[in-house]
Amino acid sequence: MSVTLALPSKGRLKDKTIERLQGAGYPVRLPENDRSYRAAVDGIDGLEIAFLSASEIARELDRGTIDLGVTGEDLVRETIPDWERKVEIAARLGFGRANVVVAVPDVWFDVFTMADLDDVAAEFRQRHGRRLRIATKYGRLTQQFFSRKHGIQVYRIVESLGATEGAPAAGSADVIVDITSTGSTLKANHLRVLDDGVILRSQACLVMAKRERPDEEAKLIEDMAAALDGTSA
Amino acid sequence: MTTRYPAFANEILDLFAEREAALTDIAIIQPADPFLDMAGEDLRRRIFLTESETGKSLCLRPEFTIPVCRDHIETRATTPRRYGYLGEVFRQRREGGAEFFQAGIEDLGAGDRAGADARSLADAHALLARVLPGRGLRVTLGDQAVFEAVLAALGLPRGWQERLARAFGSSEMLDAAIAECASPPAAARLPREIASLVARGDEAALSDRIQQDMEAAGLSATAGREPCEIARRLIEKAELRSVRLADSALDVLKSFLAIRAPLAEAGERLAAFAGEAGLFIDEAVENFNERISRIVEQDVPLSGISYSAHFGRPLDYYTGFIFEIGAEGMDQTLVGGGRYDRLLTLLGAEKPIPGVGFSVWLDRVSALKEQAE
Repeated sequence: MSVTLALPSKGRLKDKTIERLQGAGYPVRLPENDRSYRAAVDGIDGLEIAFLSASEIARELDRGTIDLGVTGEDLVRETIPDWERKVEIAARLGFGRANVVVAVPDVWFDVFTMADLDDVAAEFRQRHGRRLRIATKYGRLTQQFFSRKHGIQVYRIVESLGATEGAPAAGSADVIVDITSTGSTLKANHLRVLDDGVILRSQACLVMAKRERPDEEAKLIEDMAAALDGTSA
Repeated sequence: MTTRYPAFANEILDLFAEREAALTDIAIIQPADPFLDMAGEDLRRRIFLTESETGKSLCLRPEFTIPVCRDHIETRATTPRRYGYLGEVFRQRREGGAEFFQAGIEDLGAGDRAGADARSLADAHALLARVLPGRGLRVTLGDQAVFEAVLAALGLPRGWQERLARAFGSSEMLDAAIAECASPPAAARLPREIASLVARGDEAALSDRIQQDMEAAGLSATAGREPCEIARRLIEKAELRSVRLADSALDVLKSFLAIRAPLAEAGERLAAFAGEAGLFIDEAVENFNERISRIVEQDVPLSGISYSAHFGRPLDYYTGFIFEIGAEGMDQTLVGGGRYDRLLTLLGAEKPIPGVGFSVWLDRVSALKEQAE
């Protein structure tokens, strides 16, 4: 039996994950060599731990090179096309909570809803000779939310790889779609979340790649999911 | 024509020549921005994107109308002019391959809109009749201009008219827009000073105040939405807040959208609807009837054509007449066409150039021909 579980390789997400695993009876024995990316869990044979970045974990789940991973729901939905066919959220862990939101400049006093934004987007081209620009690293979530849910077609996505909240002031975009936990970064940048602008309430999840497995592997995953589930806590 | 092309390609080229549409050659590799700008980000995942050495976004042509119009603008061609095209387009679809043939005619700059509309429909009809002889065809026709005339005649506020017109063609979006007009959202929570300027309707002072706020926030007042634009919309919104879409108007809209009739009876049905609802939409109905009589002149049999009041395309460059043609033995549409008077301006034409055209899915035509053999 061999089940591979990928954990976030750094930061708060890593610490919280290891803490949760420990508390649930899965003590991760960290490698003595700090630079190693492999580890094991004491007392559980056949469970291999790999450390990867949270976005790599989503990609590897998509490829099926790992069985399990702890990563954000935002990354699962953004990175994996048709995600529900490929993976399953086995447990929501109750930490790493953050929302993917649509935010507009505070001074857009006339824009509080997606319907307002639809109006603005529709007349934007005529007034400014270009479409409304949305800075984001969540191209897929943005498109699904704008086009499919709200029927807004006419906008352009500007891919942003960091400091998305600075895009409106920098003049590279008009509005943003970004992840926020407390909203303080948005506020500091004079941005405001639309009333109906929450695209996703995300949190850290134990995610499983869907595939046929021997019974003992399926059992191990099931037990672990039940032990880690943070929604009842 | 090489063997890549459908066996009946020559019949289509003959038809172009007979109907005075000059065969035009469109590059397969196109800049991607015009397509994404016009059709929206939804297209991004369906087209084949690549980058030039200098980082410019390029794609394999996903359709012909936009590049035909761009070439027309670039070469400063005189109008009126009719362009015929036949070639592959590249687009990922739910059904069928991602590489398939389309043919069509784009008619640019014709001032006689009713005549050009009728001819476009006749072109498409003749093309299908030639490559699918004996096959029964069904034509569905719609007209956004009639819908817009109904909205205007109902006396709806401008903002609502625009929102509803934008949703025309998608019943889901239209239902949502109607629901919103029937129960507008509650007043927004505005800073006190802004709220009082809005209440006074003082657009200039409001605009000044917004400009100050923009400067304080480090936003350019010219790079994107401008202070005066925000101020004007704020005041407009405040005026609409006390307005509800009346039940009577809602009923009128619903009964309009439900109209379906054979084209020969459509004019009468529209006149009867307007009479009952007490709406003055005479000009739109006249234009509509004029187009019908021009369709008759073009020898397109009216018997196979039906008018559907809710039929449209929710893309902002389609402005009026639209149609599609299907054939017995297939659910999918064989031809999509319509008038796009706003497209050339959006693509950068200095003066407005009216346009109407259609595109035929030749892969579907091939499938039908094989079915027949």
